Amino acid sequence: MSDNKTILSRRNVLRATGAATVGMLAGCGGGDDGTEPIELLHAWSEGDGNAAIAALIEGFQEEYPDVEFAEEPVNGAARSNLDQVMQNRLQSNDPPSTFQTWPGKTLEKFSEAYADIEGDVWNDDLKENYRSGPQAQAQYDGTYVAVPINIHRINNLFYNTSVVNEAGVDPTTWESPSDVVDGCATIAENTDAVPFAHQTSGAWSTSQLWETVLLAVAGPDGYDDYINGEGAESDVRTALENVVELSEYFPDNSSSISFTEANTMVQEGNAAFIHQGDWAAGAYSANDEFNYGEDWNHVPYPGTSGSYLLNMDSFPYLDNNPSPEATKDFLSYCGTTDAQIRFNREKGSIPPREDADVSQLNQFQQDQFDDFTSADAQPPSIQHGLAVVPAVQTNVGEAFSSFIESYDADATTTDLMNAFN
Amino acid sequence: MRNLLAKIKRRVSSSDDARTDGGSTTSSKSLLRRDSVRSAPFWLPPFLLVGLFVYGAILWNVMLSLTDFEGLGQPDYSDLDFENYTIAFDGGTPSWSDFSIDPIWNATQNTLVLMIAFTVVCLALGLVMAILVDRNIRFENTFRTIYLLPMSLSFVVTAKFWLYMYDYSDGLVNVALGAVGLGPVEIVQNPELKLGAVTFALIWQYSGYAMVVYLAGLRAIPSSHFEAARVDGASTLRMYWRVIIPQLRTATVSAMVVLVVFALKAFDFLYSMYGGYNPGPSADILATQMVREAYGNGNWAYGSAIAVILFIMALSVVAPYIYSQYKRGQL
Repeated sequence: MSDNKTILSRRNVLRATGAATVGMLAGCGGGDDGTEPIELLHAWSEGDGNAAIAALIEGFQEEYPDVEFAEEPVNGAARSNLDQVMQNRLQSNDPPSTFQTWPGKTLEKFSEAYADIEGDVWNDDLKENYRSGPQAQAQYDGTYVAVPINIHRINNLFYNTSVVNEAGVDPTTWESPSDVVDGCATIAENTDAVPFAHQTSGAWSTSQLWETVLLAVAGPDGYDDYINGEGAESDVRTALENVVELSEYFPDNSSSISFTEANTMVQEGNAAFIHQGDWAAGAYSANDEFNYGEDWNHVPYPGTSGSYLLNMDSFPYLDNNPSPEATKDFLSYCGTTDAQIRFNREKGSIPPREDADVSQLNQFQQDQFDDFTSADAQPPSIQHGLAVVPAVQTNVGEAFSSFIESYDADATTTDLMNAFN
Repeated sequence: MRNLLAKIKRRVSSSDDARTDGGSTTSSKSLLRRDSVRSAPFWLPPFLLVGLFVYGAILWNVMLSLTDFEGLGQPDYSDLDFENYTIAFDGGTPSWSDFSIDPIWNATQNTLVLMIAFTVVCLALGLVMAILVDRNIRFENTFRTIYLLPMSLSFVVTAKFWLYMYDYSDGLVNVALGAVGLGPVEIVQNPELKLGAVTFALIWQYSGYAMVVYLAGLRAIPSSHFEAARVDGASTLRMYWRVIIPQLRTATVSAMVVLVVFALKAFDFLYSMYGGYNPGPSADILATQMVREAYGNGNWAYGSAIAVILFIMALSVVAPYIYSQYKRGQL
C-alpha cells in the first residue's frame, strides 16, 4: 500500500512537472483553441478547505466527465497571496477560469474583470433557492457575477458546558452583549477558567467581535446603515465600549496566542466562551472527546439571534475567460445542492441553497442550517470582506489594530466613523 | 572628468587635423584593442543586467510614483505629477481616489527609530562581543557560533519565537521580570513597548553578524600595532580606543550598510508577529504601510511613492559614509 502511494506521488510529481512545462509552453504560444481545461485558482491548500475543494471537483467530474480540470492551489497561500496572483494575472491579461474570492463588496477590487452570468448560470432555479442575503452578495452593482458556495456564520458564541455549569450561568437565556460581560464576571468569580478566550496578536478576531456586538446593539437595520456609511456614532461607540468591558475577561496573554490556541483553551476546559466563526466548531468535531451538545454548545451571540451574519466564499465568472463554456458548467454545478453538500460536508459551513438536504451534514451544521433558513436577516460581515469595499476594510483593519493596543473606544469610534471617507 | 574631456578633445582634434610630425601612433591604436573594450565580455553583461534590473527598476518605480495608477489596468505615463508626494506629506484625498489617505509621518518616525536604534546597538554590541572573543578566550569558536546562530534563522521563526518570549503569562521575559520582583508586563500589544520589543528581537538576531564582521576586521590588524601600543604604555581600554577601533572604520561601514538593509526588511518580522501588514500605529513602519497601500488597497502609484521615500531614506543614511570612505581611499 505504502509502496503504491510513493509511486503514485512520484507519478503525480512528474505529472505536475509536465503540466507546468506544458503550461509554460502554452503561455508562450498563447494557444486558445477552445479545449482549454478549467483553471481554478484557490488558497485551500490544506486542511478542511483542501478536502472540500477536492470533494467539489470530484462531484463535478462525475457530472461532467469530459471537462478537464486544472485546479491550482496558490502555494503557501493565504487569501491575500491569492489576490496578488490574481492581480498579476489580470494585469497581464491572462485570467484563469475562476478563483476563490469573498463575494459582496470585495468584488469591487477586480470589478472590471467580471462578466454577467444572469441566465446562463443564475437561472430561476438559483434565484428561487438562494435566500435574499446570499443572493445579494453574488452581485456586483446589481449584476450577477459570482456563485457563493458556502456560508460561515460569524455571530456565534461557543462555550464549554462543564465550565459554564460549574459557574452556574446559562447563556441560552442571555439577550444582549452586556449579559455576556456579566456572565464572564460570574465565570471569573466562580471558576479558575478564563471567561472569554480571545486572541489579540492580530486584529481580525476583535474586529469580527465588534461587528457582531454592533449587530446586536444597532439591530440589522442599524448595522446596514453602518456598512453603507450612514451608521449612528452612538451605536458604534456603545458596541466598542462593550468590547472594552469584555476585554477584561480575555486571557492575560491574548496578545501572544493565535486563534487556534484560544480555541484549544475552550476544548481543554481552560476557558468558558469563545466568539468565532463556525470554523471553530470544525476543530471541535476533530476532537473525539469534545462532543456537540455534551461537552460544548453554541448560542447565537446574545442580541443577534434573528440574524445570520454571513461570511462566504464564491467563484466569480471572469470576462475574457479561457474556457467560457466549461467555466459556466462548473459555476452552474456549484449552484446545485449536490455540489454544496459535498463541499460543506468537508468545510464545516452550510450550503447557501435553502432547499439543500442537510441530512448528510453533522448535527451542528444541521442546527445552523435551521437557524439560517429561519433567520430574519442575513447581514454581510465587514471583517470578512462582504459588507464594505477593500479600502474601507483596510481602514477598519487599521482602526482595530490601533484599538487592541490601547482599547480607546473614543479614538476608535472616530476611526470607524471616518473609515468611509 | 577633466582628464576624460581632454582625452576626447585630443582624439577629436587629432583625427581632424593633418599633423606635420606624423602624429602619434597611439591615437590610431584601434578602439577594439583597448583593455576596457577587450574585457567587455566579462563586465558588460552583469553591468547591463544590474543596470536594467536594479537601477532600471528603481527608475521605473520613480516614474510609477508620479502617475495616478490604482486598481487594475495600466499606468498612464503621459500625465505625471507630484500629487502622491503631497499626499504622503500632508494626507488628504487624492484625485484618483474617493478615500482620504493617511500621511506617512507616523510610519516614518517608527522606521527611523527602528533603523537607528537597531543599527547603533547592533554595532556597539557586535564590537564588544568581537573584542571579547578576540582576546584568546577558551571555546572561542563555540562562542562565535552561538552568537552568530540566530542570524541563520528566518524572520518568521524569530517572530514566532519572540511572540512566545514576550507572552504575558509564561514568556521568559516576564518570568525573568517576575524573578526580580517586577510584575508581568504586557509587551506585544503595548503601544509604549511594541516598537522597542521588535527592535530588541532584531538586535538579538543580528548583533552576531556585526560581531563576525568586526572580528574579521580585528584579525586584519597586525599584532605589531597591539604590541607597539603596549610598549608605549597604553592601557587596554586606551589601546582599543586610540589604536584599534579607528582601524575598524571599513568594517563598521560594511556592517552598517547590511544592518540598515536588514532594518528595512523588518517587514517580514512584523508580518509574522502581528499576522499581517497591520501591526498597529505604534509599530507601523514605511514598509508595512507601503504594502498595505499597494496590495491591500491597490493604490500602486501611492505605494511606489512610499517606496521611493524609503529608498531615499536608506540612501541618505548610507551615502555619506560611502562617500567619506571613498574620499579616504578606503573603498
